[in-house]
Amino acid sequence: MTGTKERTTGRTARFWAGLLLGTLGAIAGLALSGAIDADTALVLMLVPVIQTIPLMRAAGRRRDGVAGGLCGKGEAQKRYTKRVALFTALYLLSFGLLTFATTESDPAFALRSVLAVLPGLAVIGIFWAVGRLIVEEQDEFIRMLVVRQSLIATGIALSAATVWGFLETADVVPHLDAYWVAVAWFLGLFVGALSNRIEYGSWGAV
Amino acid sequence: MKNRLKVLRAERDWSQQALADRLEVSRQSVNAIETGRYDPSLPLAFRIADVFETPIEAIFLRD
Repeated sequence: MTGTKERTTGRTARFWAGLLLGTLGAIAGLALSGAIDADTALVLMLVPVIQTIPLMRAAGRRRDGVAGGLCGKGEAQKRYTKRVALFTALYLLSFGLLTFATTESDPAFALRSVLAVLPGLAVIGIFWAVGRLIVEEQDEFIRMLVVRQSLIATGIALSAATVWGFLETADVVPHLDAYWVAVAWFLGLFVGALSNRIEYGSWGAV
Repeated sequence: MKNRLKVLRAERDWSQQALADRLEVSRQSVNAIETGRYDPSLPLAFRIADVFETPIEAIFLRD
C-alpha cells in the first residue's frame, strides 16, 4: 500500500528543482574551471533538459494535490506547463545544435539559416503557449491575471527595446542582438507576476 | 464594490475551497472577490447568487 502511494506521489517539485539547479551549477562550474570543453558542456546540458520532465510532473501533482493549487482549476495550466516544457527543451536543443554547428564547422548559408531560425521558432512556441493559456483558461480571475502579466511584460520589453535602440544610435551603449527583446519580455513576466501578487494577492498562472 | 461573500460562506460553514468548487473557479478567485480585490463578471456574480440562493443585490453592495 505504502509502495503504491509512494509511486503515485513521487519526489517533490522542490527536490527536482534543486537537482536541476545543482546540475546546471555543476556543469557551469566544470565549464568555467576548464575541466570540460564547450562541446561537452552542451552535451551535458541535455541532462537538465530531461530533468525538466519530472519537475513538471511533480509540479502538476502538487497543483492537483493542493485542491486548486497555485491557481485555477488547472487543466489549461497543465497544458500550458507541458507546452512550455516542450518548447523550452526544443529551444535548448536547437540552440545547442546551432552553437555546435557554427563553432565546429562553417555550414552553407541555407543550412545556417534553417539552424538559426529553429531556436526562434521554439521561443515563438512559448509565446503561443501563453496565448493559448489566455484562450483556454476558464477561470476569469486567473485569465485576467495572465493578461495583465503579459501586458506588463510587453510594455517592459517594448520600452526597453525602444530606449536601448536610441541609446545605441547615440553610441552610448553597445549593440545587442534583437532576441534580447524576448529575454526582456520573459523578465517582464516576472515583474507582472510580482505586480499581480501585490495588487491581487496571487502570482497568477504563468 | 463591497460584498457579503465571507458572511454567507461562514453561515454555511463553507471553506473558500468548498465555495470555489461549487463555482468551478480557483480558491484564489474566491479570495480575491471576498477581499474586494476583484469584482466578478456579471455571469460569475449570477453563479454566486445561484450557489447561495440569494438575490444578487443581497450579496454585492455599492461602495
